[in-house]
Amino acid sequence: MTFFNFKKITSNDPDLTFAILLSALVFAFFSLYEPLFFNINTGFAIMERFAVLGLVGLALTLCIIAGEIDLSIGSNAALSAVIVVRLTDSIGAPNAILIALALATTIGLIQGFFIAYLKVRAIVLTVGTLMLLRGITLFAADEKTVMLTDFDIPDFIQEKMFYIFSPASFLVLGLFVLVALFMRYTKYGREVYAIGGARKEAVASGVSLKRPMMIVFAISGLCAGIGGAIIGLRSGTAQPLGLQYLLLAATVAAFIGGVSVLGGKGGVVGAFVGTLTVNFLNTGLVFNVTPAYIAQMYLGGLLLVVILFQNMSKVYEDKQQRQLKLADTDSFRQRLLKSLKA
Amino acid sequence: MSAAADSKRSASFRQSTALAILKQNGLNIFLAIIALVFIGFAITTHNYLTLFNIKTIVRDAALVGIMGIGLTFVTLSGNFFLLSMKETAALCIITFATSMSHDYGFIISLVGALAVAMVSGGLQGLLIGRGGNPIVVTLGAAGILYGIASWWSDNLVISFRRPNDAEWLGTGSVMGIPNITITFIVIAILAELVLRKTSFGRQVYLIGANRAAGKATGHENRSMAIKVCMIASVCCAIVAVAFSAQMSSAQANYFSSEFGSSGDFTILVIATVMVAGNSIMGGYGSTLRTSLGAVFISAVDNMMVLQGYNSGPRVLSVGLMIVFSILVFAYIRRDNRSEG
Repeated sequence: MTFFNFKKITSNDPDLTFAILLSALVFAFFSLYEPLFFNINTGFAIMERFAVLGLVGLALTLCIIAGEIDLSIGSNAALSAVIVVRLTDSIGAPNAILIALALATTIGLIQGFFIAYLKVRAIVLTVGTLMLLRGITLFAADEKTVMLTDFDIPDFIQEKMFYIFSPASFLVLGLFVLVALFMRYTKYGREVYAIGGARKEAVASGVSLKRPMMIVFAISGLCAGIGGAIIGLRSGTAQPLGLQYLLLAATVAAFIGGVSVLGGKGGVVGAFVGTLTVNFLNTGLVFNVTPAYIAQMYLGGLLLVVILFQNMSKVYEDKQQRQLKLADTDSFRQRLLKSLKA
Repeated sequence: MSAAADSKRSASFRQSTALAILKQNGLNIFLAIIALVFIGFAITTHNYLTLFNIKTIVRDAALVGIMGIGLTFVTLSGNFFLLSMKETAALCIITFATSMSHDYGFIISLVGALAVAMVSGGLQGLLIGRGGNPIVVTLGAAGILYGIASWWSDNLVISFRRPNDAEWLGTGSVMGIPNITITFIVIAILAELVLRKTSFGRQVYLIGANRAAGKATGHENRSMAIKVCMIASVCCAIVAVAFSAQMSSAQANYFSSEFGSSGDFTILVIATVMVAGNSIMGGYGSTLRTSLGAVFISAVDNMMVLQGYNSGPRVLSVGLMIVFSILVFAYIRRDNRSEG
């Protein structure tokens, strides 16, 4: 019943409403502007893109909810792509994927370990690991673009299923559902929200800082790994310096989806909607034959607009609270004076 | 107390003192070992300790170093760092080259590049000062700036004729020292003097070290963010102009990773600031450190080139240096930090 009570949803979660509206707006704009946009094949392309961007957006959303950020996600994905492409020829696609995923998750776990146990800030550490992983990727790829020899092997992830889906996007959607259930219904998920939104209070009341941190970064590594593997298999090639756009795109997706820089806010549904919006924008711009750097410009502009909007709403909220407090103090003072006069 | 218990206690005391000394100085011992290893490699690498090579090292450090000095101001004031440095440089280099190709001369082109830098830096500083997270704001700004740069130049190479006024900066030298190195040294000295001797410098440290105290004494981050972002952007402009003068051309992707061999330029600059030991939370560090950090990274990179390594291991080792120095400084300062 409550699910369809729109008024309650709107007032409960204004950011999500804003995200959904923005998403619908972008979709409608491009559908009207480009006749070919509202098309099953375009839907397939969008979902294919979603498979990678959704993963990274989800990972970044979780990190920002936990009050940190993972800047190395692009490098992690690139490493995973290179490993999958390099190893598929020798040991077959499934094994290569497994190895890449294990490596990516381990990298995430190690980062989470340092952030949790040495109390390094994630912003700082991931700047370093961004470069470190790039170096490892360059090393693993011998500084060239690596290619598969048999391009038929990875075709299975691109098979069209149910008009617009494919095994890759189904996998990602399934992961979304899993993570959503995890975040909402388990203690560990709630811990992530706690250490993000109110870290000192959470730690003071006994919430473990280390466990959710490591979980979040492990998930981030896993998502980067899967994303890189999908990209690598889909195109059959992998560039060691590639996938740098993923960070900006995922950040925009996360912020459209309603995360706050202060942490503790946002959710998987928001990540889904945010990623869809960025996808619509990207695909729509591709229809316009816009070069990649212009698309980046729009993304950057969109990010700033969303940040501005969030900031203004926060300033507005602060103002309201201040006025409330002042009103309280005023009324208390008046009561005091009245009682003293009497 | 019996004598046996006494001697036992004193023995364990001696042991624990030795352990304590090791724990206290373990880090210094470790760093000393690394320094020795470095010196060992320096002596054994052919042609490393020559005057020519040392001049090369400092010259290679100049571009990253100047940007790093600009970024240090941002970091010291507690505004983390700007992820838009290489994109600001890209826009400035396009501005400079476009102006030079129209034969406006060095001065006007330089002013144009500086103006562009100050405007873009000022806007970013405005957003950051009003409460935006520096990482997110500059991430967005980076996309916008690079888009403008590429769109303005149609992603083509802009070149200007060889005998031009900018050559003295790019390839000229005075008494054997390249002009760009002199620029680097002058900027380094200037920055350090500003930070140490002027009240503005002290304000930078204050706002970084204790933002609440700054606010209470009337020094808000609102104006400081604008100023430090402008300083950082101006440094980007200087680097862009110098690089363009060297190449007598410009393209939007000159500072991107496809072009350079040392990986992401912005990350390299951030690395310089952090490897030098500036505290990421602000209030601690100096531009002198950053300059030395730039020279150090350049020295290691130079040694690897002389030893015959490709860009992969070089990027890897810079990344290792960053991560290592982050962890070391986090370990040293772990007691000075509160939870979260």
